[in-house]
Amino acid sequence: MAEDLVLDIKNLVVHYETEDADVHAVNGIDISIGKKRTLGLVGETGAGKTTTALSILNLVPNPPGVIKEGEIFLEGKDVLKMSSADLEKMRGNDVAMIFQDPMTALNPVMTVGDQIGESIAIHQNLSKKEAFEKAKEMLKMVGIAESRAYDYPHQFSGGMKQRVVIAIALACSPQLLIADEPTTALDVTIQAQVLELMKMLIQEQEMSMLLITHDLGVVAEVCEDVAVMYAGRIVEKGTADDVFNHMRHPYTEGLFDSLPNLKQRGEELVPIKGLMPDPSDLPPGCAFAPRCPYATEECSKAVPQLMPVDGSETHFVACSAYNHPEFRLRGNKDGK
Amino acid sequence: MANKTILEVQNLTKFFNTPGGQLHAVDGVSFKIEEGKTLGIVGESGCGKSTTGRTILKLLEPTGGKILFDGQDITGYSRKQMRPLRQEMQMVFQDPFSSLDPRQTVMQLISEPIIEHKLLKSKAEIEARTLELMETVGLAERYVNTYPHELDGGRRQRIGIARALAVRPKLIVCDEPVSALDVSIQAQILNLLKKLQKDLGLTYIFITHDLSVVKYFSDDIAVMYLGQMVEKAPSDILFQNPIHPYTKALLSAIPLPIVGGDKPKRQLIKGEITSPVNLPDECRFMKRCDCVQECCKNGNPQLREVEPNHFVACSCV
Repeated sequence: MAEDLVLDIKNLVVHYETEDADVHAVNGIDISIGKKRTLGLVGETGAGKTTTALSILNLVPNPPGVIKEGEIFLEGKDVLKMSSADLEKMRGNDVAMIFQDPMTALNPVMTVGDQIGESIAIHQNLSKKEAFEKAKEMLKMVGIAESRAYDYPHQFSGGMKQRVVIAIALACSPQLLIADEPTTALDVTIQAQVLELMKMLIQEQEMSMLLITHDLGVVAEVCEDVAVMYAGRIVEKGTADDVFNHMRHPYTEGLFDSLPNLKQRGEELVPIKGLMPDPSDLPPGCAFAPRCPYATEECSKAVPQLMPVDGSETHFVACSAYNHPEFRLRGNKDGK
Repeated sequence: MANKTILEVQNLTKFFNTPGGQLHAVDGVSFKIEEGKTLGIVGESGCGKSTTGRTILKLLEPTGGKILFDGQDITGYSRKQMRPLRQEMQMVFQDPFSSLDPRQTVMQLISEPIIEHKLLKSKAEIEARTLELMETVGLAERYVNTYPHELDGGRRQRIGIARALAVRPKLIVCDEPVSALDVSIQAQILNLLKKLQKDLGLTYIFITHDLSVVKYFSDDIAVMYLGQMVEKAPSDILFQNPIHPYTKALLSAIPLPIVGGDKPKRQLIKGEITSPVNLPDECRFMKRCDCVQECCKNGNPQLREVEPNHFVACSCV
C-alpha cells in the first residue's frame, strides 16, 4: 500500500522561533495522499494549513520557521533530506503549487506566455521558443485563447489570472498539486468555473492534489479525502463521506454548525464559543478543550492521538471523549 | 411589527466619469425598507452593491434619483444638513483591520462618535456609555484600553458595530461585515447582529456576495448585476423559486457542504461580468445567459412583478 502514496507526511513539527515566543504552528501531523486522490485540508486561519503546504516544498521561511521533526516522503524520497539542487528539480516539476491570491502570484512585467514557458524551459530543457509554444497549449487547456499569451497579467480578470496560475502549475505535469485556497479570492460564479476546471484537469492528468481551504463547500465539491486541522494538529480525517456524514470530532461538528447555509432563516447559528488558542501558548492536552462543549477534566491532561473510528480503516479521530465507548456527538447524523 | 417605511430609494443612479466613458456603477435602483426589517443586496464584485450602500448614506453624491429617509427627501442635502441625520443612519465596514484607527484605544474608538455628535457631556457619562456599548456587542471590559492590533478580526468587527451603535441609529448599512472573518467567528457576529436587531429594532441593509449569509439574515433580497437589480423578492420566495437566470446561476454556484445523497447538480455560468462602461441598450446579462432569445436584444429589461412581491427584470419571463 505504502508504495502507492504520492505524499506521506510523518510526525511533522514546525515552529516559528521569534524573539518573543516560540510559535508552535504544526505539532506532529501525519497525512498521506494516494495516487489520483484529492485530500482537502480544512481549518481556520492560523490552524497551520499553509505551513504544512510550504513544508512539503521545503519552503518554510527560515528564519523564523524551523522544521523541528518529521519526514515528508514524496514518492518515496524524503524532501527534508534533499540537496538544494534536487529540491529545485522537484519544485514545479514533481510538485506544483497554486496560491491563494492570483493578483500577487504573477509577475506584472512578464507576459503570461513567458511566465508559463519559464518553468517548462527549465524543467524540460526546451528552448525559449519551444517553451512558448507549449505555454500556448497550456493556455488553451485552461480555457484561455492562445493569442492572449502575449498579454500581461493586468490585462486579465481575477478568474483568468487564476487560470494562468493553474496553467503554470500544471505545465510540467506534476504528480502532486498543492492548491492553497485557490478560489477564495474569486466570485462565486467564477469560483464554480475554476473548481470545475481543476477537477477536470486533475482527472485528465491523473494527478494527486492537496487542497487547502476553509470552505467546507469547496471540499465537498472537489475532495475525496478530508483532514480537519486545529491548532497545528489533525483532529479528524477520513473520506469525505466519513467526515461530512459521520463526523466524530466536536470541532468538526462546530464548523458545520457555524455555517449559515444549512440553516433556515431565523434559526440561531451555533458558533464555536471563544477563539483559537494562541499557537505560542497552547493549552495542555487537547487544544480544542477550552472551546469544546463536551470537554471533561480528562481532556486537558493528555494530547489525544488519532484513533480509528469503530475499527474503520479510513476514518480517524483525535478526541479523548471516545475513551468512553458510549460517547456520541449531539448532532451526529448517525443517530446513535 | 410596524409597517412604517424607513427608507425609500427611487431610481437611484451613480455614474463615474472614466477616461473610457461613463461607468454605470448604480443604474436605476429602487427599493423600500420597512422599519425593523433587513434587505439583503447580493451580487458579484463590481455589480455596484457597495456603491449603492454608500450612495444611500450620501457618502457618495448620487447622480440621479431620490433617497427618502423617514419621509424626508435627503437627495439634495448638504454635508451640514446631513450631519444630524448621521445619527440615524450608520455603516459597518467590511474590513475591521483597516477601518479602525490603529492609534486609538477601544475606549477612544467607541466614544468618538458620542463625543463627535455631542450626545453626552461629562467624561463619566461618556465612559459609562462606552462600557455599556462594549457589553452590548460582547466585548469584555478588560479590552477597554487595548489597541486594535492586539485584537482578532471578530473583536475588531465588534468595535466597528459598537461605533455604529453609539449614536443610536435606526438604519445600519452593513457592507460585507463578516466576509473577512473565519466561519466560527462569522457565526458569532451574525448572531450578534441578529440579536441587536431584535433588541433595538434596527433596520439593516446587508450587502454581501455570500448568498448563504443573506439567506440566513434577510427578510427581502435584491440581486444586483451590473448596477441594476435583476430580481427582488422575500427571502424564502427567492430561494425556493428563483426566476432570473442570473439568480439561478448564482444559487447553483454556491458549493454546498454535502457529500453524496441528494446533492443538486450544478449549473455553471459562462464568461465573466462585462465592463460597466458604455453599456448598450440590451439585457446586460445576455452575453452570459443560457436562454437568450430575440427579445433580449430589444432594450434593457426593467423589474416587473411576476407574482406578489416577486420582481424580475428579464424579457423572457
